[in-house]
Amino acid sequence: MADYQLIIIGCGLSGLAAGIRAARFGRRTLILEQHTVAGGLNSYYHRRGVLLETGLHAMTNFAAIGDKRAPLNRLFRQLKLSRRAFVTHEQIGSEIVFPQLRLAFSNDFSLLEAGIAAAFPGCMDRFARLVRAVDAYDPFAPAPWRSTREFLSSILAEPLLEDMLLLPLMVYGNAEEHDMDLGQFVIMFRAVFQDGFFRPQGTIRDFLDMLVAQFRRFDGEIRFQSPVASIIRRHDRVAGVVLADGEEISGDAVLSTVGIPGTARLAGWDLDVAAHTGRMSFMETIALVPARSMAELRHDRTIFFYNLEPTFSYQRPDDLLDVSWGVICFPGNFQGLEAADPAQVRVTNAANYELWQRLEDDDYRRAKERWSAKSLAAAGKIIGNSPADIVYQDSFTPLTIERFTAKAEGAVYGSPRKIRDGRTPWPNLFIAGTDQGYLGIVGAMLSGVTIVNQHLLGS
Amino acid sequence: MTRDEIKDMILEIIEDIDEEAEFDQLDPDAPLRDQLDLDSMDFLDIVMELRKRYKLQIPEEEYPQLATLTSCVNYLEPRLKDA
Repeated sequence: MADYQLIIIGCGLSGLAAGIRAARFGRRTLILEQHTVAGGLNSYYHRRGVLLETGLHAMTNFAAIGDKRAPLNRLFRQLKLSRRAFVTHEQIGSEIVFPQLRLAFSNDFSLLEAGIAAAFPGCMDRFARLVRAVDAYDPFAPAPWRSTREFLSSILAEPLLEDMLLLPLMVYGNAEEHDMDLGQFVIMFRAVFQDGFFRPQGTIRDFLDMLVAQFRRFDGEIRFQSPVASIIRRHDRVAGVVLADGEEISGDAVLSTVGIPGTARLAGWDLDVAAHTGRMSFMETIALVPARSMAELRHDRTIFFYNLEPTFSYQRPDDLLDVSWGVICFPGNFQGLEAADPAQVRVTNAANYELWQRLEDDDYRRAKERWSAKSLAAAGKIIGNSPADIVYQDSFTPLTIERFTAKAEGAVYGSPRKIRDGRTPWPNLFIAGTDQGYLGIVGAMLSGVTIVNQHLLGS
Repeated sequence: MTRDEIKDMILEIIEDIDEEAEFDQLDPDAPLRDQLDLDSMDFLDIVMELRKRYKLQIPEEEYPQLATLTSCVNYLEPRLKDA
């Protein structure tokens, strides 16, 4: 008998959700995590007594209690967590800012419609057609790749509006450069515009603690600081894993959440790694600002999605960072949160992994300082002033992301080519998480749930 | 188990899966999924729970026999007579 029925590599959100599903129905399940804490991309660390979150700006897919078909509530049922006991804070409201126009949106879809009606008076019928097409589309049915750019242009024929709608959807969930698969667009349109943003009460740590406790309640086991060195192959199956310290652990099945390139390396999977490595990575700068200095900034929104250029181009920049477009997030600006002091501002811009990787120690540190200053200066153009009197500042580059999250080249949305059914060349090795294709916190967890349901619970 | 015990057990499983479930208006001869607004993932959980509790293996082609509360009881009665 194998040591475990299921070994999960990675204690991020997809791994935890997968683990809860398997353990809930009695599978002996082990999660292996290389770091000391759970969360993967959505984790946390402490500086100056403040808990700082690494990934979370907001959760998408907001759904009220009782809306049974909403992804968030389905997820809670699947994980046997009480949605009623889960306290949420909805966004105040967000804004897409281009030089020509600003469009506000919130969890009330009519705000976005009203903004579009005012700015593009002749376009409302076409926008309504777009919404109907999104509602009718089943993004989970297998379908060949289809261009969102062409789809939008054929329906809307308003290049500015198309770019403005695409900015938040791409920056929050598109692994490809330039264009986006239509199925992914539909998922993101629903998640961001139709469902909307919220935060769980507390921090990502509380959220992760809740998931870890649920997994353990079903007798699941987690080992932290246990990096996997390889996946053991025996004949045409996998038989378990070898840890970095040489320990072998056998398993009837292995579920990897470390991405396609990472899984290929562990299993000796001969595939085109470059084609499965995403090119979109980001640098994020967190600034802690005294509450009194926040008055100097325009901070009446939860998130600004900005573009300083008239058109939007989603691609790996030619320079270390592209501050001409990005995201400015105020994690304190959700309904019902008490004002924090210091307050947080986070600015995110597209970054070039390769150029960051070439820098040596001192140059890397200086580049981080220089570019985070440029990033905050660019944000200042949108929010009136650059954050001043900063009491603490930190930036994550694509290298930081790669080191802490196992995402190849720091590509937070993973491979541009997904493996939707989670299968690998080995019948008992599966992948879940970013490279399976559902993105975001709710998406990642649904990915873990779906793969376990499809491949591990039926048999 | 008696028919009544089986019925209570099914409702208990559903309640356990879905904290929003309400049975006041439940028609025992109409499809459970439509009435309770459950999806295929929830349905799988009913099957999994039966397997966990009673070691019952229900093949996928027999899932339709679990469509309504009455058909569930009919299907499970002979299988749970010693449970």
